[in-house]
Amino acid sequence: MKTRITELLGIKYPVIQGGMAWVAEANLAAAVSEAGALGLIGGANAPAEVVRNEIRRAKLRTDKPVGVNVMLLSPHADEVSDVIVEEGVKIVTTGAGNPEKYMNKWKRAGVKVIPVVASVALAKRMERYGADAVVAEGMESGGHIGEQTTMTLVPQIVDAVEIPVIAAGGIGDGRGFAAAFMLGAEAVQMGTRFVVAKESICHENYKQRILNAKDIDSAVTGRSHGHPIRSLRNQMTKEYRKKEEAGASFEELELLTLGSLRNAVVDGDVKNGTVMAGQIAGLIKKEQTCNEIIEEIMSEANRLLKTDYWKGSSYE
Amino acid sequence: MLEKMKELVANQLGVETDEVTENSSFQNDLGADSLDLFELVMALEEEYSVEIPSEDLEEMKTVGDVLIYLKEKGIE
Repeated sequence: MKTRITELLGIKYPVIQGGMAWVAEANLAAAVSEAGALGLIGGANAPAEVVRNEIRRAKLRTDKPVGVNVMLLSPHADEVSDVIVEEGVKIVTTGAGNPEKYMNKWKRAGVKVIPVVASVALAKRMERYGADAVVAEGMESGGHIGEQTTMTLVPQIVDAVEIPVIAAGGIGDGRGFAAAFMLGAEAVQMGTRFVVAKESICHENYKQRILNAKDIDSAVTGRSHGHPIRSLRNQMTKEYRKKEEAGASFEELELLTLGSLRNAVVDGDVKNGTVMAGQIAGLIKKEQTCNEIIEEIMSEANRLLKTDYWKGSSYE
Repeated sequence: MLEKMKELVANQLGVETDEVTENSSFQNDLGADSLDLFELVMALEEEYSVEIPSEDLEEMKTVGDVLIYLKEKGIE
């Protein structure tokens, strides 16, 4: 399937694996890229040398393009932005803010810059500053979220900018892919489905928690202090909500979640750790290789987009 | 200038014009989050035909700060 995104990034399928903290490391990113989509290394809060090492490890595993997600609130964001140039990375996505100050440096180095945005105004601004595409991410996604849904955000951003739009949040299969394309997206980004991929180094408990998740297991914490995070409900989210309702301070709540994503992903503590996952977790029932995931999604999406499937319910 | 600015801020942030004063902090008094601030900065750029980089935005905490900023850019 060809879209402006596949052409821009030099990939076979318009699918991008999200830059999830702790999960999106070299192994997963390379497997996704090898399968014809775009794998990302998640910079998250990692020091620059850790990111450099992951980039190098990914390159040993694949000749295909691998990108890096730069989390702009990271204390190491400045150094990571240099590592990207030094290591010859050609595709960058950015999260949690506005990458304006790195834009010139990256563009000069021939890096394609794709900011993740949660509003029309930010999308327009990024276009003006030379972004090559944007990821429109709805609040169905896991981790840090905005307020709008993918369904509403994607078409509004598609109408507001000329550059191609990648839909993210709530997409986990070919139906979600096709729906995003109906809204005007030219690629999709998925996180949760890849967390449970066979190549993902995520702890088995974490994967099982996602595979066993029901639709109603998705919980949002942190709304009270303006930094909402979506994860799967457990002992931690219960306690967090109780404290949040009792009016606990931001600092007190932070203590509950300090290092908790790592505890869940690396150590497998899915009771007291933070099991970040999108709302689509309830749909994801099997652990597959990245190649199987991507081929399955593409064949399903192709079938839906080419046939009159949707006309099945007669509207005449 | 202040009156016009109050109106613009009120419109962008969805508050009443008389809630907005020169000392109003966007985040603490008017409840703006980071997305609201981008809406506001885009509106300011359009209204005053000026380019405001995000680094500068970080320095502008109140309505008064914006007035001073624009004044330094020769807009009054």
